Amino acid sequence: MPYHEFEVSKCIPERKMHAVVKGPGEDLTHALPKGYLNTIPGTISERGCAYCGAKHVIGTPMKDVIHLSHGPVGCTYDTWQTKRYISDNNNFQLKYTFASDVKEKHIVFGAEKLLKQNILEAFDAFPDIKRMTIYQTCATALIGDDMSAIAEEVMAERPEVDIFVCNSPGFGGPSQSGGHHKINIAWLNQKVGTVEPDITSDYVINYVGEYNIQGDQEVMLDFFRRMGIQVLSTFTGNSTYDSLRSMHRAHLNVLECARSAEYLCDELRVRYGIPRLDIDGFGHKALGDSLRKIGLFFGIEDRAEAIIAEETARWKPELDWYKERLQGKKVCLWPGGSKLWHWAHAIQEEMGVKVVSVYTKFGHQGDMEKGVSRCGEGALAIDDPNELENQEAMLTLKPDVIFTGKRPGEVAKKMRVPYLNAHAYHNGPYKGFEGWVRFARDIYNAVYSPMHQLSAIDISKDDYETGKGFVTRRMLSDAGLPEEAKASPLTGYTGKFDPIPDLRQKTYPAFERRVAPAVAE
Amino acid sequence: MNCEVKVKDRIGTINPIFTCQPAGAQYASIGIKDCIGIVHGGQGCVMFVRLLISQHLKESFEIASSSVHEDGAVFGALDRVETAVEVLLSRYPHVKVVPIISTCSTEVIGDDIDGLITKLEEGLLAEKFADREVHLLPIHTPSFVGSMVSGYDVAVRDFVKKFAKKGAPTGKINLITGWVNPGDVKELKHLLKEMDIDATVLFEIESFDSPIMPDGKAVSHGSTTIEDLQATGSAIHTFAPNRYEGGKAAQLLEKKFKIPSTVGPTPIGIRNTDALLKKLSQVTGKPIPVSLVRERGIAIDAITDVAHMFLADKKVAIYGNPDLAIGLAEFCLDLEMKPQLLLLGDDNASYVNDPRIKALQDNVDYPMEIVTNADFWDLEDRLKNKGLELDLILGHSKGRFISIDYNIPMVRVGFPTYDRAGMFRNPVVGYGGATWLAEQMANALFNDMEVKKNKEWLLNVW
Repeated sequence: MPYHEFEVSKCIPERKMHAVVKGPGEDLTHALPKGYLNTIPGTISERGCAYCGAKHVIGTPMKDVIHLSHGPVGCTYDTWQTKRYISDNNNFQLKYTFASDVKEKHIVFGAEKLLKQNILEAFDAFPDIKRMTIYQTCATALIGDDMSAIAEEVMAERPEVDIFVCNSPGFGGPSQSGGHHKINIAWLNQKVGTVEPDITSDYVINYVGEYNIQGDQEVMLDFFRRMGIQVLSTFTGNSTYDSLRSMHRAHLNVLECARSAEYLCDELRVRYGIPRLDIDGFGHKALGDSLRKIGLFFGIEDRAEAIIAEETARWKPELDWYKERLQGKKVCLWPGGSKLWHWAHAIQEEMGVKVVSVYTKFGHQGDMEKGVSRCGEGALAIDDPNELENQEAMLTLKPDVIFTGKRPGEVAKKMRVPYLNAHAYHNGPYKGFEGWVRFARDIYNAVYSPMHQLSAIDISKDDYETGKGFVTRRMLSDAGLPEEAKASPLTGYTGKFDPIPDLRQKTYPAFERRVAPAVAE
Repeated sequence: MNCEVKVKDRIGTINPIFTCQPAGAQYASIGIKDCIGIVHGGQGCVMFVRLLISQHLKESFEIASSSVHEDGAVFGALDRVETAVEVLLSRYPHVKVVPIISTCSTEVIGDDIDGLITKLEEGLLAEKFADREVHLLPIHTPSFVGSMVSGYDVAVRDFVKKFAKKGAPTGKINLITGWVNPGDVKELKHLLKEMDIDATVLFEIESFDSPIMPDGKAVSHGSTTIEDLQATGSAIHTFAPNRYEGGKAAQLLEKKFKIPSTVGPTPIGIRNTDALLKKLSQVTGKPIPVSLVRERGIAIDAITDVAHMFLADKKVAIYGNPDLAIGLAEFCLDLEMKPQLLLLGDDNASYVNDPRIKALQDNVDYPMEIVTNADFWDLEDRLKNKGLELDLILGHSKGRFISIDYNIPMVRVGFPTYDRAGMFRNPVVGYGGATWLAEQMANALFNDMEVKKNKEWLLNVW
C-alpha cells in the first residue's frame, strides 16, 4: 500500500505520509496515513478549530440551554445557523446564540465582569431557561479569564440555574477534534452524577455521539423505544441538559460517533463501570446488526428481530430499486470524521456504488484504520485534505458524485461533479431503515440530474441532440438496465418530505418490568 | 424629537447581526485577482468565514490560514505565517497578492506581522521567489474592535495604501463600491457605462456570479487587478458611496494623492441614485444621457404601480450594514412607508454624526428608533415584549427566525442571504435596484396577504 504523493504537494514532502492507495490484497499493516497532526500552514486545509468542535458540534445540540460564547462576537456569529441539528422544543438551540461581545477594553482590563453581566442578562431575557453552557474562545483564553469562578458565583446567587463551563479555545489542537475531547471530559468532570434520574425500564442506555442531524436521533430513539429500552440521555442531539447529568445511571453506553464522543464512553466505563457498545445507525445491515447487539446485551433479541423484519420488509425493496440504478457509480466519500467508516462499506454493499476515495478532516489514525479496511482496492485515503489535492483527486478519479461539506461542494460543482452534503445531509434524516433509502434517493437524484447531463454539452463545439423536450431521471438511469428491471412497478422512495413529525406523535407499548423497581434507586 | 438614536441598552449580544473584523478583510480580499489572503489565527476564523461567504454566493474561493495551534499561542506564531507564505506561493504559482490578516488571538499575543513581512521580503521572496511578482501586506483586524464592516473598510484602505501610485493622470474615477453584491457591481458599472465614464471599480466581484462550464474549469474569483489598484493613485476623483465601507480608502487617497472624493450617499432608491449621477456628471463633465432618464422612468413607473396603493404606511424594521440600512430607510420613506426600527452596525461612535441620520431625526414625524451596536434581540424583544408591530422586515438571513416565528414577511437584503435563491445576483442600488426592491417588498406583502387571508381578494383587480 504505497503512500500517495499528489503532484500539487510535491513541494511539501511531509504531506506524502498523509495519503495512501489501498493496493490489491493489502491491509492496514502495509501503510496507514498519518492523522491528527498539526496542520501545515497555508495549505488551505479544510479544518476548523477546537472552539467549534466543542461549542458548535457537541455543545449546541443540547436543546434547553443558553449557549454563551465568551469572546468577540465573530466566533458566535460564524458558527450560528450553519448546522441542521433540530430538536423537539421548537429548535431553541438553533435559533438563539449568545456572545459576551468582548471589546478592546476588556482585552486590556479583563472580561470577567462583562461575562457575569452577560450571564445574568441572558437568563433575564429567557426566564424559562435555567441552564447555560459557556465556551471559551481564543481571546478570552489568552487574557486568562476565570470563567469557572464566575459561573460558581452566579450559581451561588441564583440557585435555580446551572452552568457548564468549557475551556476549549480555537487554537487548542490541530482541528475541531481537540474541542470534542475537551468538552467530553469537561462534561464528565463537572456534570455527570449531579442529577438522579427516574428509572422506568429494565434496560437503560445512554445514546452517545449522536447529534440529531435532520432528526437522526429521533429515528433511532424510535427503535430503542419499540424495544422497551429507556434512553436516559443522548449526548447531545435533542437532549436536555439535566438528562445528561444523569448519564452515570445507564446500564450501557451505545456509541454512534466514536470520533467525537468515545472519550466520554471510555471514562464512564472507568468511573462508573458502564460498558461501551459501538453501533452504526447507517445502513440496513449495520443498523440491523446494531439493534441485534443491543438486544443481545439485554436478552431481548426477539424485540430487535421484530423491528428489523418489519422495517426491512417496508424499505428494502425501495433501497434495492436504487441499488440497481446506482451500480458501479464512483463516489468520493469526503466527510469530516466518522462517516468515512460508517458509510464506506455500507454504501458499497447496499447501494452498489464504489468508494474511490475517502478523506477525513479531523479524524485520527483510528478512523483511517476503520475507513481504509472498509474500502475496496484502489481507494485513495487522504488525511487533512486541502483544496488543491481534492481538485487533483477529482480530476484523476472522476467520481460520479461526492459527499462533502457545503463549501467544498461548490468546488466540485464547478468541476461538474454533483455533491451531497455529508455533514448536514441534503434531504435527511439518513439514519434508520427509511433514512438510508432517503440517502440512496438523494444520490440517485444527484447522479441522474438531467441538468448535470446538460452541463457537459458545449453548444459551440458539440453536435448535440435537440429532439427531446425533456429527459427524466428514469430515462437516464434505466437506459442500460435489463427489461425486467425497467419494468419494476416501484419508482423509488415513497416516504414523506419530513418523517419526523409523525415520530413525535407516536406512542409506545408499555413492557412489563422483569425486575421490580428498587424503592430508592 | 420623534426619531431617537440610542445604543443597545444591554452589554451582551443575543443573536448577533454582524461578525467580526477579519471576515470583512476576507470579503474584500476575494475581490482581487491572483490574491489569496492568509488569516493569522485559529483555523475557524477562516473555515467558517469561507463557509459563510460561500453560503451567500453559492461559490467557492480561496483563503488560507496560518493554523495557529497551542504552541503558537504560547510562544508566538510568526513561524506559522512564514511557512504559510512559502507553502501558499509554492503551490499557487499565479498568486501575486498575499494579505496577512490578523485576528484577536494573534493581536493579543502581539505577533509583529509588519516586521515579519519586511523579513520575508528581504529573505524568502528575494531568495526563493525572485522571479515572481509577489506583494505581501499586513491588515490588522483584531476581532475585538469594530465589526466586519470596519474590517472591510480597513482592508480596502490597506490594499489601496499598498498599491496606489501617482502616475500619469488616467482621467478615470475610482468607484469604491462598499460591501455589496455581484448584482450591485453590475448595476453600478451599467450606470457608469451609460454615462460613458471610465472607472476603476474596487472591487470587481461581479465575476462571482459565475458559470458551470462544459470543461469543468470555471473558477470564481475577483477581477480587480494590481494595475487597477495602482491606478487609484492617478484618478481624478474617488467615489465611496458607502461611507463606512470604503470611506477610509477615499480619505487616504485624498490625503496622500490629493484626489478629491465624494463619500456617500449609498445609491439606494431613486433620489440617492440621482445624487450619485449628478455628482458623477459634475466631476467628469459628462451629461446624464436620455437612456438613464428612460431607465429612471421605468423604475418610477414600476414603483408607482405599488407604492401608494400597497406600500404606503407599512411599518418596517431594517437591520444590516449601516450604509445599507440607512439607504433602505431613506428609500422606504420615499415609498411612503414607515421605518420603525433601524438596527445599525457596531459600536462605531460616529454613526450619530451621519448627516443622513440627522436628517431622519429632523424630519420623521412618527416614533422611530435607531439602535447602534444592535443585536437581533433588539428587534425580537420589541416584538415579543414591547408591542412593536411590523408589516415587513428588511435584512439578511441570520434574522430569518424572527420573520418565521412572528409571522412577519421579510425581504432578504444585504449579507448573507443564504436562505433565498439568487439574492446576490440582484442589485439594490441604482434604478434597477430601486425597482427590484420595491417589487420584492410588494410581492412579500402580497404573499403574506394570501397566507394570512388578509384582504387577499384585493389583488383580483390590480
